[in-house]
Amino acid sequence: MSFLHRHRNLTPYLLLAPGLLYLGIFFVVPLGFLLHQSLQSGNFDVGYAFTWAWGNYWDAIRGYRGHFIRSFEYAAIATVLALLFSYPLAYWIAFRGGRWKNLLLLFIVAPFFVTYLIRTLAWETILADQGPVVRVLRDIGILGQDGRLLATSFAVVAGITYNFLPFMALPIYVSLEQMDGRLIEAAQDLYASKWKAFVRVTLPLSLPGVVAGTLLTFIPAAGDFINAQLLGSPRNHMIGNVIQSKFLELTDYPAAAAMSFVLMAVILLMVALYARAVGTEKLTG
Amino acid sequence: MTDVLTRRALLRRAAASGAFLTVPGVLAACGGSSSKSSSSGSDHTLAKTLHFSNWPLYIDVNEKTKKHPTLDTFTKKTGVNVQYIEDINDNATYFGKIQGPLSRGQSIDRDIIVMTDNSRYPSLLIKKGWVEKLDKSAIPNFKNLVPALQHPNWDQNRDYSLPWQSGLTGIAYNDKLTEPVLTVPDLLENPQLKGKVTLLQGMGDTMPLIMFANGDDPAKVTDASWDRAMKRIKKAVDSGQIRQFTGNDYSGPLAKGDLKACFAWSGDVVQLEADNKHLHWNLPKDGGGIWTDNMLIPKGGNVYTASVYMNFAYDPHIAALIEDYVNYICPVKGAKGELEKIDPNVANNTLIFPTNAMLDNARNIDSAALNNERYITEWQNLVSG
Amino acid sequence: MTAVPATERMPRERTVSRVWSFVKHHALTAYAILAFTYLMVPIAVVIAFSFNNPAGRFNYTWSGFTFDNWKHWDGVPGLRSAMVLSLEIAFIASLVATALGTLIALALVRYGFRGRGATNLLIFLPLSTPEIVLGASLLTLFLNNHVSKVLQLGFWTILIAHVMFCISFAVVTVKARLIGFDRHLEEAAMDLGANEWVTFQKVTLPLIAPALLASLLLCFAISIDDFVVTYFNNGPKITFPLFVWGAARVGAPPQVNVIGSVIFIVAVSVMVANVLVQMRRAKSAATA
Repeated sequence: MSFLHRHRNLTPYLLLAPGLLYLGIFFVVPLGFLLHQSLQSGNFDVGYAFTWAWGNYWDAIRGYRGHFIRSFEYAAIATVLALLFSYPLAYWIAFRGGRWKNLLLLFIVAPFFVTYLIRTLAWETILADQGPVVRVLRDIGILGQDGRLLATSFAVVAGITYNFLPFMALPIYVSLEQMDGRLIEAAQDLYASKWKAFVRVTLPLSLPGVVAGTLLTFIPAAGDFINAQLLGSPRNHMIGNVIQSKFLELTDYPAAAAMSFVLMAVILLMVALYARAVGTEKLTG
Repeated sequence: MTDVLTRRALLRRAAASGAFLTVPGVLAACGGSSSKSSSSGSDHTLAKTLHFSNWPLYIDVNEKTKKHPTLDTFTKKTGVNVQYIEDINDNATYFGKIQGPLSRGQSIDRDIIVMTDNSRYPSLLIKKGWVEKLDKSAIPNFKNLVPALQHPNWDQNRDYSLPWQSGLTGIAYNDKLTEPVLTVPDLLENPQLKGKVTLLQGMGDTMPLIMFANGDDPAKVTDASWDRAMKRIKKAVDSGQIRQFTGNDYSGPLAKGDLKACFAWSGDVVQLEADNKHLHWNLPKDGGGIWTDNMLIPKGGNVYTASVYMNFAYDPHIAALIEDYVNYICPVKGAKGELEKIDPNVANNTLIFPTNAMLDNARNIDSAALNNERYITEWQNLVSG
Repeated sequence: MTAVPATERMPRERTVSRVWSFVKHHALTAYAILAFTYLMVPIAVVIAFSFNNPAGRFNYTWSGFTFDNWKHWDGVPGLRSAMVLSLEIAFIASLVATALGTLIALALVRYGFRGRGATNLLIFLPLSTPEIVLGASLLTLFLNNHVSKVLQLGFWTILIAHVMFCISFAVVTVKARLIGFDRHLEEAAMDLGANEWVTFQKVTLPLIAPALLASLLLCFAISIDDFVVTYFNNGPKITFPLFVWGAARVGAPPQVNVIGSVIFIVAVSVMVANVLVQMRRAKSAATA
């Protein structure tokens, strides 16, 4: 420790070293390998060789544009739905929850504690063609007599929305809860209506939570393949399904690696644009 | 019983029991020490544990204890524990998993795996040298393999593989929800079935039925017959007739009533019918598919122990016990006779012991087609949307 | 700012606004109840089907109530070993990730240093990378000839992956608690002659213990639930989520629901206990 005393400026680096080294080796380096893989050509039977095969990227985008677009479309819809669902709920808990706040918060986190796959399978049961939901929708005429929810884009988006809800609701709650009550009171005095006060003061102040929530929901949603696999049909498959099958079934590693990078690049680009639009300090804050 | 049983001792006991064919005989062999000496001079020893990867619901289960009685018998008989793992859900995914280690000369911790000959993987495994040769000297029961399966073109002499079960691919339907669906055109084009139909995601599973419906021979695929078949399926997909391409996960939606009809494997439906009287299965009139799942020993597996197990499984009595639960088509001669004693209902079920007429009406897919790059890509793009 | 008393407003306006606020108040409450119901429905289904008594081999439709699945929770071959593996991995991964993450968080909160931005980025990136990319990139690392000679896919690769995606969560969790931390206590300890290590042991550690616990629990929960990354890197090993995935192909047995329910109940109990303790503390602090 006397060493540390003499070299206090070294301490942070020593503290950082093990963790960052770990992330370096098992997060950054693998991305390098993935990049390397994505530029290989060949096929499984003869083996793959590194040839700067940038064509893989072109093929990935051209051949699977539909899957990419679908993924971002589903993720965007699910994110908006999750936001619309979570905000009032988080608001209610933060401002009406009283001393039960933390207990109520539990209800939001609860789905998170049922294994992801099991809760998705539960939705498969709930939305089944012979299940209660479909029966009711048929009876009130929203669905035709042979209408269904499973194996449609509706089921996939609904599944994604449900599965990532806690990621949206929690940050929003935190940002609302931290808000200074006096500020809101003052705003309500200042503006004629509560609604106006909400729009002018509460909403802007909760924006960091909204931003964090959207990102935390959108990113995993865009890369998901479980919901499309279990609740969708091939026509609802997302880019995650393609990457998964290219990697694990067809062992077409270069194509799968190129697609992974395109997915990651698009997401990072969107995050950056989004961060710019709402202000970066809200992202890191 | 000791962990390591020499092959010699085993054979001696087998010889003592006279046959090594029936469980009582085997059990007697276990207890007894006989004077009759054996012939083999090999110093092969049995491993402590046999690691056996198989498909779900593919071996006998005691519904009460959830144990696998024949595997317990095997353990009792040989002292080899069996780690039985139901981790094969489709050929492609399983191959994708194991090819990484195997291509690097690593063991995959398995002594027996089971793969289907209507996929390209059994032949690919042999071609790549990733499977071991069977120790046929340890498999005297090899002679019980039915003649029709003795010489597949991808393993002419069964040096590397031994069938586990065969099965037929046909059409299942739910009579509560639809009129009988007996032909492929009905399945693909009947508007009453729209969105309530699934096909199988394996090219080798679905294609034979489509090609037969087109009047083509699936055992001899040409570019023209391939394109015809693809066009027909695409049309049904685009019209929304086909809901999904499935592995064995069609059974849930079929049992629940989410599906009216689908391509399905004979044995699954025998099992599902037992739960739900409304489910039926038929081989399409134009013809259906037939395939065989094969036991293989991946590189690094214990050849001798695996071979001893295969011999055990080819004992007609054991085969009959497995068959009584599994309900696919048994490749072991004499199993039907044994099953008649245990469970005559099953023994007389034509899905489990099909008639010659049924077998004549079913073909496996052309293995050349399975390895055709263009077909593979087109098929993958079809089933993954 | 002082509040303008509502009584000073016009009476009619007051009535209208009162009715409106009543409606709004209760509309929001009604909405919250509906929303909670929606959140709970799948969980109710999971728990209900854990008591199902399927007539045949498949757990698809409700066919009778039984406790058997709970009594014989490991009656399905392979389920117990999958569960054991999942628990082992989650336990070790949460410990390692929390240790590594805490050190990083300490550095970030306590010290100014060059490369802070890069460090933040490195923590942020794994959180903003889709799981499928994390899993795929690790697989390409593990399948690389140089690596696979020493490291085969299996227990260790699963563990490595889980620690990797848990670290960032650990950093974020611990950092949040450290920020509100009173450094004067440490300085006081140092003034009293304690060296840095003793101070850390006697003062810092007890103070950040709740943060460590929170991080451990979060990492444990994330690890035990992970499917995607594990699916890429498991080799021949089967964790509980992978078992569910395989079993679902032929209809998951009710025992899967039993385990799912147990995980849920344990997690919720821990959290409820935690919340109640906090509430009691707050209460006694208020009355003191």
